[in-house]
Amino acid sequence: MGTTASQLGKDLLSEYQELTFLTKQEILLAHKRFSELLTKDEKDVPNVRVPMERILTLPELKSNPFRKRICLVFSTSEHKDGSLTFEDFLDLLSAFSDSATMEIKSHYAFRIFDFDDDGTLDCDDLQQLVNCLTGETEDTRLTQDEMRQLISNILEESDIDKDGTVNLSEFQHVISRSPDFISSFKIVL
Amino acid sequence: SQETQTPVDTSVRNFGGGVQSYFLFLRFLVVLNFLSSLLIAGFVIIPSIVFRSVEDIPFNSTGNQSYYWTQTFYLIRPGVGLVAFYNYFLDFLSGTGFIEYTYLFYGYYKNPLVGNINFSYNIPLAYLLTAAFYLLFCLFCIIARLVKLHHKIVFTGWDYGSSGHRATKLKQQNIYYRLQVDLEEERIKKKAASLTQAQKAFLYSARIVLFILALGFIGAATNLDQGVLGLFYEYLPSIVITAANFIVPMLNDQLAPFERYSPSITIILALFRAVFLRLVSLISVLFSLWRQITCDNNTEAANCETCQYNVKTYQCWETRVGQEMYKLTIFDLLINLAMLILVESPRRIVVDNWPNKLTQWVGRQEFVVPNNVLGLVYGQTVAWTGAFFCPLLPLINTLKFILLFYTKRITLFQNCRPALKTFRSTTSSFFFSVILLLGLGLASMVMIYSVGVIHPSMACGPFRTFDTMWLVIPTAISKLSQTTQEFLFFIGSQSFSIPLFAFVMLCYVISLAAVYKKSVTLMKTQLKLVSVSMDCPEHSHLFYVMTHDYCEVMDLTP
Repeated sequence: MGTTASQLGKDLLSEYQELTFLTKQEILLAHKRFSELLTKDEKDVPNVRVPMERILTLPELKSNPFRKRICLVFSTSEHKDGSLTFEDFLDLLSAFSDSATMEIKSHYAFRIFDFDDDGTLDCDDLQQLVNCLTGETEDTRLTQDEMRQLISNILEESDIDKDGTVNLSEFQHVISRSPDFISSFKIVL
Repeated sequence: SQETQTPVDTSVRNFGGGVQSYFLFLRFLVVLNFLSSLLIAGFVIIPSIVFRSVEDIPFNSTGNQSYYWTQTFYLIRPGVGLVAFYNYFLDFLSGTGFIEYTYLFYGYYKNPLVGNINFSYNIPLAYLLTAAFYLLFCLFCIIARLVKLHHKIVFTGWDYGSSGHRATKLKQQNIYYRLQVDLEEERIKKKAASLTQAQKAFLYSARIVLFILALGFIGAATNLDQGVLGLFYEYLPSIVITAANFIVPMLNDQLAPFERYSPSITIILALFRAVFLRLVSLISVLFSLWRQITCDNNTEAANCETCQYNVKTYQCWETRVGQEMYKLTIFDLLINLAMLILVESPRRIVVDNWPNKLTQWVGRQEFVVPNNVLGLVYGQTVAWTGAFFCPLLPLINTLKFILLFYTKRITLFQNCRPALKTFRSTTSSFFFSVILLLGLGLASMVMIYSVGVIHPSMACGPFRTFDTMWLVIPTAISKLSQTTQEFLFFIGSQSFSIPLFAFVMLCYVISLAAVYKKSVTLMKTQLKLVSVSMDCPEHSHLFYVMTHDYCEVMDLTP
């Protein structure tokens, strides 16, 4: 397992095809783009791990307000530093691909929005989420009152067991009622 | 789309948030009218055109009266010799002459069942059902617009596919404005719902005063048609509206102190101002029409004796009503255009180029959002009222509103100045939707009355052989097979509808329980994993495996 050569082996390719939602062309394109991020020395290292800063130079991620969270969620690094191997990268593209199911997408969306990684979306998570969505510039920041009102509205609509947080199944229940979620939760290279 | 968004966004920064609500409301009305015209075209107009060539089938199954009138009874004065061009123009504006006997008006639509052995299409039934469905569809759209869901924007609002710094910034601004608008709506709704005792008393007395005013106005309008030139009377509604355009802003200023005191009074007062000043002119037109058609609801009167409607004056009264609504729509558009060209543009030119004390005091035109919205609601109410008698009216209204959208945008940027006082509570789209519902209620009442009470014209239209238009439905049902009839009656009865309701509630409760169950299972799984990973650190990678397949995890726990 690993990507040593600049070419992807046939068995590896079919294995990746089976394990992810990506097509052959998408995997090859991902491999090409990932290799472009590697330095000359790294190209020969098996299972090379690319640090987050370099991943974030990809144009598809560069201006996304959730880019750091996306890298952290898909990273399998022990140091939780957001660095990705090629397989992590494929996992990322698979979850954001056209053919991924609603379940997978909503699961990852939940983890991306869970800023403190505690398994639920509480008020702080929601606040950070809204700030990411509106951008934290001077004229697009919500006031404290507005933020409180918005968060209480969201909890009122989504928190079914009334424990003050939105857990995964409540989130998925809410997401399932929005048919445009699948088409907007998409990143294509 | 990017193109229509940028002008609307810049308008927010320069003119205040209310202006954005206005343009969004106008866009909503355009879409609504367009979809409605598609509905009507599909079920009424196109079948009528397709089956036009089929001959009239003599109809004799409606009770003891059997009529078979040909088109020759309902004659339009034919053009004799050379007709001057301006006649065509006048006819186009008032819906008479060459334009009267076309698909535009009710009178042109032909009679009953058409088709052959294999396929039949009941045009009167389609006409009636389409009209009813059209109003219900509009009701549904307006109510759907009232319900706001915040989590929708927050959880699903981001488009991960868009890349580029500029696109991201625009999207973030857009989300910010949408959240702002929604939160404002929320606050207004909550405030409107809470009224103290004193406020309620004030409200009732204001209501009574306005009602008396409205009655007086209607009385004045109906007395006018006896002495004054018919032409002046025809233009009266339009004149009233134009006058209202000037009066209402002054009233706004008078009531400004109240607006500073309490938002809830403001909202309700503004509501009544809106309803009575704008819609009362429409009500007076309808009222006088009704009086003429039904001879003051006196079936013994000379004109109404034979046919239970005024056959002497109106050979085809439905077309007449349709013509009135058509005229109101066209004049409303013309007046808006005239205001732009003849009043607002010159005003700007004068104010900008000849600065002195007088022009500075008058100043540029202010884009007062509530008035403009009332204009839209008025136009839409007229379209709803007239749609039954003039099936192409929703399409005409769509074109009118599109034209209005662009002319208002032009006038906003070129001629207007930002409103000095933005009465936030009266620029909420919740408020607009509520008035729109009132307009829809008025139109529905007119339609229900026409369908259920007044005798349809016997010389024209698809309902000429029925006593009332409503009777087409029982007649159609009686033609169905016995079992189908029994089935329909059964569905309508209590023994079916109550268990159905209980069943729906049960389904909802079960789905809720399913969500809880999933939540509980997930928590149990997480607990197990936490305990496992704490005991055996080498199994901490199980978190990763869990995302792909839940079952695997359950098997691996010791």
